Amino acid sequence: MSLTDEERREFSDVVLPLLDEMHALAVHLCRNHSVAEDLVAETVMRACENFRELRDRSKVKPWLFRILTNAFFSSCRKQKTRQEVSYEEVQGEDDAGSFSLFQQLSHPFLLWWGNPEREFTNKLMDEDIRRALAELCEDHRVVILLSDVEGLSYAEISESLDIPIGTVRSRLARARSMLQRKLWRCAQEMGFGVSRRRSRQEALKE
Amino acid sequence: MTGSKAKQLNCQEALRKVFDFVDGALEGVSLVEMRTHLATCRHCFDRAEFERLLKARMARLKANPASGELRARVQSLIEGG
Ligand SMILES: [Zn+2]
Repeated sequence: MSLTDEERREFSDVVLPLLDEMHALAVHLCRNHSVAEDLVAETVMRACENFRELRDRSKVKPWLFRILTNAFFSSCRKQKTRQEVSYEEVQGEDDAGSFSLFQQLSHPFLLWWGNPEREFTNKLMDEDIRRALAELCEDHRVVILLSDVEGLSYAEISESLDIPIGTVRSRLARARSMLQRKLWRCAQEMGFGVSRRRSRQEALKE
Repeated sequence: MTGSKAKQLNCQEALRKVFDFVDGALEGVSLVEMRTHLATCRHCFDRAEFERLLKARMARLKANPASGELRARVQSLIEGG
């Protein structure tokens, strides 16, 4: 089962350049640096053992992400941390991909007030996004990470998570809806919702 | 001429495709239809622009390089494995 020297060199050449990408995915999945490093190491070990399975070298990224997410989900199952998934999935069922942060921010009332959407994306800190993302259940988090952080296509996400493309689309829509709902809460804390109410009162006075 | 011809999208149809557009999943006639609509509709253009901006902000979370320790650990795994 162990690789020849030649294969080992090839493995290094295709896998090591993707180490930062694996690490970024692992960090946002695990939300803990040392656990994330263990996950990456485990991924590399499993990938090394199964390297001969990978026939199409152009698919190395989804292949690695698949190993990584499988290892992550199986550790979640062991720790029984996946219970919150079904809870949040049920919670999100009624708004299945329908919440739009843009709609909230660009309320017709304030068209004269400037461009609140742009202002919000400018004010938003990376930390706000990281926190909102961390609050999502694993299934939603992983699909957003693969799409928006890692920049994978729908087809590549489908391969990474072993789900049909239609499911990638609908899960991504739901995940974005949940994330935008959390960012909207963040926008309200920044005073976007408040200013709007105040402006509305001012508008009514006139 | 290929079979499908570009048609005019209404806002509802355009908004349904906004994430496909932002994710680069539209091609051919669908992409042309979307671009045409966005070029003529301020509201949908702003929405697409907002989703694009947000997606670009998400991409910044990628800046999370592996530590030298992890790199060394992985290298020794490969050499030993
Ligand atoms: Zn429109």
